[in-house]
Amino acid sequence: MTQLLLFNVTNGLIIGAFYVLMALGLSLILNLSNVINFAHGGFLVIGGYIAYTITPYVGFWGALLIAPPITALIGLAVERTLIRPLYGRDPLYSLLLTFGLAFIIEDGTRFIWGAQGKPVTVPAFLAKPISYDFFFITGYRLFMVATVVFAVALLFVLLRYTRLGMRIRAGTLDLETVSALGINVRILRSLNFAVGIFLAGLSGVLAAGQLGLEPTMGTGLLMPSFIAIIVGGVGSLTGTLLGGLLIGVASGLTAMYFPAASEAIMYVLMAVVLLVRPRGLLGEEGMMT
Amino acid sequence: MKNPIVSLVSDRRALLKGAAAIGALQIASPFVVPVRAADNIKMGMVDPLTGVYAAPAGNEVMGAKLAVDQINAKGGILGRQVELLVEDSANDVGTGVQKARKLIERDNVNFIIGDVNSGIAAAIAQVTAEKKVLHVVSGGHTDTITGKDCHWNVYRVCNTTRMEANSVSDLLYNKYGKKWHFITPDYAFGHTLYDACAANLKKLGGTVTGNELTPLGTTDFSAYLIKARAAQPDVLLLLVQGSDMINCLKQIVQFGLDKQIHVAGTQQELESLAGLPPEARIGIWMFEWYWKQPGVPHVAEFVAEIRKRNGGQVPTARHWFGYTSAMTFALVANQQKSLDAIKLAQALDDFELPPDVKLQPNKVYYRKGDHQLMTSAFIGEALNKGKDDPEDLFRVDSVVPGDKTAPPVADTGCTIKWPA
Repeated sequence: MTQLLLFNVTNGLIIGAFYVLMALGLSLILNLSNVINFAHGGFLVIGGYIAYTITPYVGFWGALLIAPPITALIGLAVERTLIRPLYGRDPLYSLLLTFGLAFIIEDGTRFIWGAQGKPVTVPAFLAKPISYDFFFITGYRLFMVATVVFAVALLFVLLRYTRLGMRIRAGTLDLETVSALGINVRILRSLNFAVGIFLAGLSGVLAAGQLGLEPTMGTGLLMPSFIAIIVGGVGSLTGTLLGGLLIGVASGLTAMYFPAASEAIMYVLMAVVLLVRPRGLLGEEGMMT
Repeated sequence: MKNPIVSLVSDRRALLKGAAAIGALQIASPFVVPVRAADNIKMGMVDPLTGVYAAPAGNEVMGAKLAVDQINAKGGILGRQVELLVEDSANDVGTGVQKARKLIERDNVNFIIGDVNSGIAAAIAQVTAEKKVLHVVSGGHTDTITGKDCHWNVYRVCNTTRMEANSVSDLLYNKYGKKWHFITPDYAFGHTLYDACAANLKKLGGTVTGNELTPLGTTDFSAYLIKARAAQPDVLLLLVQGSDMINCLKQIVQFGLDKQIHVAGTQQELESLAGLPPEARIGIWMFEWYWKQPGVPHVAEFVAEIRKRNGGQVPTARHWFGYTSAMTFALVANQQKSLDAIKLAQALDDFELPPDVKLQPNKVYYRKGDHQLMTSAFIGEALNKGKDDPEDLFRVDSVVPGDKTAPPVADTGCTIKWPA
C-alpha cells in the first residue's frame, strides 16, 4: 500500500508538471492583460498538429524546436487582430471571444486534419519505462518533466533578469504607471501573449507524444490549468507552479482510492482553497517571489 | 489590480447574456441544408459532429449520405426524392433531444437516425416514441435501448453491449486467463458493458480483480494503470472508446504493461487503431463490421464508394452503421408502399437485410422481440501494420452471427408495447 501511495504521488507530480506548463502560459496572459484565454487549449492543439505535420520532414526533435515558435506567431497574429481591440473592456468580452475562438480552432483543426485522431510516435528510446517497478516513469515522461523544468527556469530568468521580464512584472502590478513611464504597453502585451502561447505550443508538442492527437485534446487539459491558477493564486506564477503540482498529486491519489472522483477532486480542492483563502495559496505573494 | 475573475462573476447580467447566446447556438440551423422540395422524404440524423465522438459521428453521416444518394439514384422512396437533414448533438443529451424535437416538429422529418452516444440515443428514443416517428439507433450500444427501455418505433443497427461481451468472453478466458481487470468509461455504455463482461466471467469461473471507472475524456490513465498492475490480473480489458481508448492504449504500451499483462477488450474501432502509433495496435477485440471481406458480395463496391468520398480512406463500422440505418427506411417503406410509422415498424419485425446492404456473410435481420439487428461480430487481433493496405489494421479470425452473440429476447427485459 505504501508503495502504491509513493507511486501515485510521484505520478501525480509528473502529471502536475504538465499542468504547470499550460497554466503558466495562461497565468502570464491573465496577469498582464486580464484576458481569460479559453482558447489556450486550442493553441495547444495547434502546436500538436503543427508538430505532427512537420515531423516527417524534421523529426520529433526538430518539431519540438519549430512548432512552439510557429504557434506563438499564430498567437501573436490573433492577439493583434482579435484580442487587442478588447483590452480595457470588461474581461467578459475577451472571455467570450476566446471561448468562441476555442470552438473555431477545434473545428478548424477538424477541417484541416480531419476528425480522426493522428498517431504521433516519440523516439523509441524514450518510449520505455526506466525500470520494471517504476513502470509508469517512462523516458518520455522524464523528458517531459525535464522540459517543463527547463522552460519554467527559462521563464523565471526571463521575468527576473531581462528588461522585458521586468516590464511584464511591473505591468502586472500597475500597467498604467508602466505606460506613463513611456513603455509601449501594446508591444509589451503582444510579447507577453506570444510567450504564453509559446508555452501552449510546447505543451501541445509534448502532449501529442503522450496522448492521442485529436481536435478536442485541449479541452480536457484546459480546466486543470485554470484550477492550478486559482488554487495557486491569481497573479502569482510561483503559486501557479504549486497549484499545478498539487492538483496533479490530488488527482493521482484520488484515482487510487476513489477513481470516479479523480476529476472532481480538483474542483473540491479549488472550492476548499477559495473558501479558506480566496486569493489562492500564494495570491498575495506577488510574482516570482 | 482588478481581479478579472471577481469582476466577471459580479457582472451576472453579462454572463447570462453570454450563456443565452451560447444556448441559442445549440438550436441554430442544421449543418446540411439541401434545397428542400415540399414533396421530398426527409430523414433526420442527430449525431455528435463535435466533441470526442466527432470522428465516428462524421463517418456515420458519410455512410448515411451515400445511402441517400444511392436511394435517390434508384428512384427514391415511393418515387419521391430523399433528403438528409443532419444535426449536431454536440455529445450532450439536452442538445441531442432539442435537435431531435426540432427535426420532428419544425422540419417534419419522416425518419430519425442517431446517436453515437448511448445516453443521447436513449433520450432521443423517448422523443421519437412520443412523436411516433420511426427511429433507427445507428451507433449507441447500451443494452437498455433494445432492452428494458425498448420502444415499438426504435430499431438498432449496432451491437448491444451484451452482444459485444458475449462475442469475446470465452476466447479471452480460454486464451489469456481467468483474472480480469477492467478500465471502464463511467457512463451508460461502460456500465452495461462491464456488467455483461463480469457476468460472463463469473459464469466461466473467473474473477474480477478490479474495475476502474474512468470519467469520459480522461487524458491520463497512469493512476488507473498503477492500480491495475498492482492487482496482478491475467487480462486487462479496456472498455473505453474513442480518444480514451487511444490515450489508454498508448500509455499501456509506453509503460510496457502489454509485456506483463494481456491487453484486450470488447469493441474496437478502426478510427481508434488508425489514431494509434503502430506499436500500440495490439490485443484481441471484436469489430462490428470490417472493410476487408474477400469474396463477400458487394463489400468491394461499398469500400470503393466510401473511398471516393473519404479522401481515399476505407469505410469503418460507423460508415456501415449510417449506411444501413438510412437504407433500412428506404427498403421497408418501398416494400410496404407506405410512410406510416406503425405499419413500417411492424414490417421491420424479423426484416432481413439484402446482401447489398448487410455487407457480411451471415444472415442479418431485425429481431422481432427487441428490434435489435442481428449483425455479426468480427473477432480477431489488431495489427501493427497493414500487410497489403496501410488501413488493414485488423486480422479477422472469425465472423460470428448476431443471433449467436445476442441473449434470448426473454433475457433482454424488452417488452414492446404497440400503440393502440
